[in-house]
Amino acid sequence: MSPSHLVDDETTVNVARAALFAALTGAFALVSVTVPVTSIPFTLQVLGVFLAGILLGPVWGGAAMVLYLAAGAVGAPVFQGGSAGIGILLGGAPSFGYLWSFPLAAVVIGYLVHGSTEVRRPSSVSPARLVVAMVVGTIVIYAFGALGFMYVQDVGPEAAVLAGVVPFVPAEILKLLAALGIVRSDVLHAG
Amino acid sequence: MTLVYEPGSTPAHRLDPRSKLLVQATFVAAAFVYTTPRGLLALSGLVAGMLAAARTSPLRSLWEFRVVLPVVLAAPILEGLTFGAPWFVLADAIGPALASVRVILVLLVTAAYVRTTPVRESRAVIQRSIPGRPGQFLGMGAAFVFRFLPVLQDDVARIRNAQRVRLGTERRVTERVRLLAVAALAHAFDRADTFALALQARCFAWNPTLPEVRFGPRDLPALALAAALAVAAVVGAT
Amino acid sequence: MIRTEGLVHRYGDVTAVDGVSVTVDDGSFLAVCGANGSGKTTLVRHFNGLLEPDEGEVFVDGDPVGADLVAARTAVGMVFQNPRDCFVAATVGADVGFGPENLGLAREEIDARVESALSAVGMDGRRDERIDRLSGGETARVAIAGALAMEPDHLVLDEPFAGLDWPARQRVQERLESLNDAGTSVVVVTHDLGAVADVSDRVVVLSDGTIAADGPLGAVRAGLEGLDVRPP
Repeated sequence: MSPSHLVDDETTVNVARAALFAALTGAFALVSVTVPVTSIPFTLQVLGVFLAGILLGPVWGGAAMVLYLAAGAVGAPVFQGGSAGIGILLGGAPSFGYLWSFPLAAVVIGYLVHGSTEVRRPSSVSPARLVVAMVVGTIVIYAFGALGFMYVQDVGPEAAVLAGVVPFVPAEILKLLAALGIVRSDVLHAG
Repeated sequence: MTLVYEPGSTPAHRLDPRSKLLVQATFVAAAFVYTTPRGLLALSGLVAGMLAAARTSPLRSLWEFRVVLPVVLAAPILEGLTFGAPWFVLADAIGPALASVRVILVLLVTAAYVRTTPVRESRAVIQRSIPGRPGQFLGMGAAFVFRFLPVLQDDVARIRNAQRVRLGTERRVTERVRLLAVAALAHAFDRADTFALALQARCFAWNPTLPEVRFGPRDLPALALAAALAVAAVVGAT
Repeated sequence: MIRTEGLVHRYGDVTAVDGVSVTVDDGSFLAVCGANGSGKTTLVRHFNGLLEPDEGEVFVDGDPVGADLVAARTAVGMVFQNPRDCFVAATVGADVGFGPENLGLAREEIDARVESALSAVGMDGRRDERIDRLSGGETARVAIAGALAMEPDHLVLDEPFAGLDWPARQRVQERLESLNDAGTSVVVVTHDLGAVADVSDRVVVLSDGTIAADGPLGAVRAGLEGLDVRPP
């Protein structure tokens, strides 16, 4: 038996937080809310991606989304509507492109919000900066998402955008506003 | 209810998790190569066999995927639609329709794995196939996600119920989503910090003893199936 | 033996523990009590190096805690308040085995420890059950088993009776008593002395981060007035 190499304090806390945000994203994947007027239901996963990037920063926000994918791959019901499995990440379901974009999107959002790998208090970041970060993150997610949709569903770019992007634009705006409200409300104290 | 592991002793339960993951991966590969009516028919037969081995009901599993299904069904319809006469081109819709069938088959195979594989086995696979600290991070981290998920799902469900009662549905959607997330997050950092202390008190280490996973004779049929699917995929693709 | 010398712990401007020197003798049963915010939890979290002192020192079996954290955390088992927040796994056996796995023990040894820890808390043969389906008392006992699987010489429990009904509470009490009889020293943090009156051989009363009283229950009883501690 070899001596135990303890995980240091800071890493332990960060692993716990990353797992918690991954689980939160999974819990949000089950919440379906209907956008008024269009009556298209959407889930809140992307809100989890936003919050991971904003609250945990680029490194651990990205790590949280990697854990999200890993847990889903081995059967945690965290993907859209409570689905799971390695098959989905290998292109088995139309959500495949969106899912793979989450770690990258969280890193991008985290980096744009905090300006470095150092995590700042999110309520001290200007709203404009938060909005830009989330808009760029959303573009990353939907670009990957549409490509994945074309591949999995064997459709052209127009159908992919019509089925996989357009219906969700109003919902993304909603989530973005909600995330902004959460971060600015200062009920959270990161770090 | 979502798809979760159920303890049991079906043939699928007794397989090594790695065999089951290999079958899933090779199945996806084969399904992509043989997205034809005959190919999908043959694969459907295979899926029926897998579900039977896992004592998993196909209808119940499909119901659990109900959120995903509308998009899957919409794709062929949207692709078939054109601007101007004849408005709908059947030929354009066939490819996407077959792709939708493939998606449903993959989801069902996934359901069989999830129903029959406990968390610690999945964790063992990650830790044993990815060496060193990345493997330990992913394996333990994924196990912690399983651990937190029901707690957070409960939180979210409770908050939503409370909102239905108190706020009704009149409040603006943004406001409802914001309140829900704030409530769910309120204790997130405290909870993570407490959990981290509990990990430290029990010597959370980079180099723990890993759970056992062992190939046995009963894995042979599954491995043979995975090999056959892989060969079929390679042959079909070239 | 666990010993603190002039221990000081601050959270920002607030001094939670202010110069505490206390010794937990081998095989003793010590109750640490005091009002909310008196520094009880902060004090015991120094016993296995979960916190670092701002001033003073902590020794476990003669060695400074920080010198070998694995040794300190193996020697001092800790059960937290609200055990539900502290489980690392979904099933009983996987959770209880977590500590021994981190020690890098052989699989057979881990299995043996999980069995004996569960039997020590009266949960034999229930390793495959899901933790979220257990009752409050069973949850508390599984949390204790998780600490016992490290085979500690000292066991520290933070408010182990909170939220338990009477029968569950008695069962936990009995288990702690028999562990103590078998030679493990037990430290129970509580604001409710009644729960440990019969079993503890010494009580340390904390007030504003300092020791207000220290001695057998009979001797400290008079000093409990006005300290917001529920007397037995």
